[in-house]
Amino acid sequence: MDIDQKLQAGAEIVKEWVISTSNPEVNRVDLVVAPENLKKAVAAMLDSQWGYLSAITGLDHPEYLTDETGVKKVDPDRGNLELLYHFSGGAAVLTLRVTLPYSEAVIDSICDIDMAAQLYEREAAELFGIEFRGAPSTDHLVLPDDWPVGVYPLRKAFTGLKKES
Amino acid sequence: MGAEKKPEKFVVSIGPQHPALKEPGHFEFAVEGEIVTSATARLGFVHRGMEKGTESRTWVQNLYLMERVCGICSAVHAMAYAQGVEKLAKVEVPPRARAIRQLIAELERIHSHLLWLGVAAHEGGFDTLFMLSWRDRETVMDLLEAITGNRVNYSANVLGGVKIDIDEVKSAAILKGMDFLEERTRHYMKVVTEDETFLGRTRKIGTMTLEQALRLGSVGPTGRASGVPYDVRVDAPYAAYQDFPVNIVTDTAGDLEARFVVRIKELYESYRVIRELVDHMPAGELTTRIPRRIQEGEVVSRVEAPRGELFYFLKSNGTDMPERIKVRTPSLCNWGSILATAVGHRLADMPMILAGIDPCFSCNDRMILVKRGNDQTVWTWEDLRRYGIEYYK
Repeated sequence: MDIDQKLQAGAEIVKEWVISTSNPEVNRVDLVVAPENLKKAVAAMLDSQWGYLSAITGLDHPEYLTDETGVKKVDPDRGNLELLYHFSGGAAVLTLRVTLPYSEAVIDSICDIDMAAQLYEREAAELFGIEFRGAPSTDHLVLPDDWPVGVYPLRKAFTGLKKES
Repeated sequence: MGAEKKPEKFVVSIGPQHPALKEPGHFEFAVEGEIVTSATARLGFVHRGMEKGTESRTWVQNLYLMERVCGICSAVHAMAYAQGVEKLAKVEVPPRARAIRQLIAELERIHSHLLWLGVAAHEGGFDTLFMLSWRDRETVMDLLEAITGNRVNYSANVLGGVKIDIDEVKSAAILKGMDFLEERTRHYMKVVTEDETFLGRTRKIGTMTLEQALRLGSVGPTGRASGVPYDVRVDAPYAAYQDFPVNIVTDTAGDLEARFVVRIKELYESYRVIRELVDHMPAGELTTRIPRRIQEGEVVSRVEAPRGELFYFLKSNGTDMPERIKVRTPSLCNWGSILATAVGHRLADMPMILAGIDPCFSCNDRMILVKRGNDQTVWTWEDLRRYGIEYYK
């Protein structure tokens, strides 16, 4: 099976949930799905044995404020987070993309259907502040135990911890 | 007195200092008598803030940062990153540079697998094998030093190619080294498959079936020892693997012994492909020009690190600094296999099972830049530079 056919076969598996499609590279297809359908789409991908979940990438798309001096600054309260679920099958990479607003950064955990996702989810939870509904553990995995609550280091608004007085 | 004592759940806590390896990780094994009934892990002790760090450095500076994600498999990190940036910039790397990248990556695989062989033997109480394999590993370390000038963090890759070349003298040295190592490796194969005492520690220990391995997302030699047929070098050839292919090595046993056998057979493959590379090295340029600002876009770059699939996601916003770089290292995929296979084994087998996936803690832990203690401030690049200069004065 060549790469085009493989990508088409993958897109076919999840087509009922797909909102939009793009091909960023010759061996890749990106499929945007709604957050409430993500788990169903992931389950269908895993059941079909098209490939395996390679990684979950988090992205932050903040909105920007312009202050009185004309300097553009990140607005810490408004913006969107994006999760990219990358599946690899041979040379082909299929990505399911979901967008979550800061105000409702919650999505279903997929740990019960793919155990391997746990570490990826916990990384995204700690570093981007995304809540994974039904996740088996919400303990700290990568950040120190005394890390302040509500500080998410991979968001663009994070530039460092304040010095303690 | 006389009252019947109920068996209690007892938790043995290992780490963060010195669990099985010389890197920090914390594990809790619940035991009943000698038998492990459940296992959990806590990582992050060497989390360094690298993904965040990339966002305030230029594409060129990040090459040196990414090379330092891991000290053992540094060249594959630099290669995965450089290949990703080249794809973003739509730049084609010359054939000779691609072949040299593959050469360095395979030499690194040899050093990494021999290192693992020693560490795993040490955890199994077989220190003679540990010392002999590390003595022989010096052969490949010397070769890497002769070619690149460094024993680790070779810095062979640049954006758009490589900055080192091999000549006839170096080629001859590489071929001689491969002959010596191949002979030694055949001996090690004999040791790990025939030595009764050692087999007692590896055969039918930590067994993972193909179905389990697929479910747990195991990659690399850990997965291949259970029959998982994934190898990025074969599935999606990069560098010069199209012209100098390697054969995938798998096993069906899925136990610790199989993990030894798979890695040793991969060493044979590396020796073979290195000889081919040296004998048929393409002529031509070593680098091509690459712009300082990288056009907008997102790419995925995958390479086969010694421990399995290494996954890079790069996003550019059109400036000279990346918008986001995501690194998913193979050790992260393989933790699940430890926690699952540990159950039902004796506590004494845990160091071997831990070492069996060849875990690399530095690879797992990357992103946060924190100084612990009362003074919880973030260090700037300038602070770190000054600290470094003062420290080594």
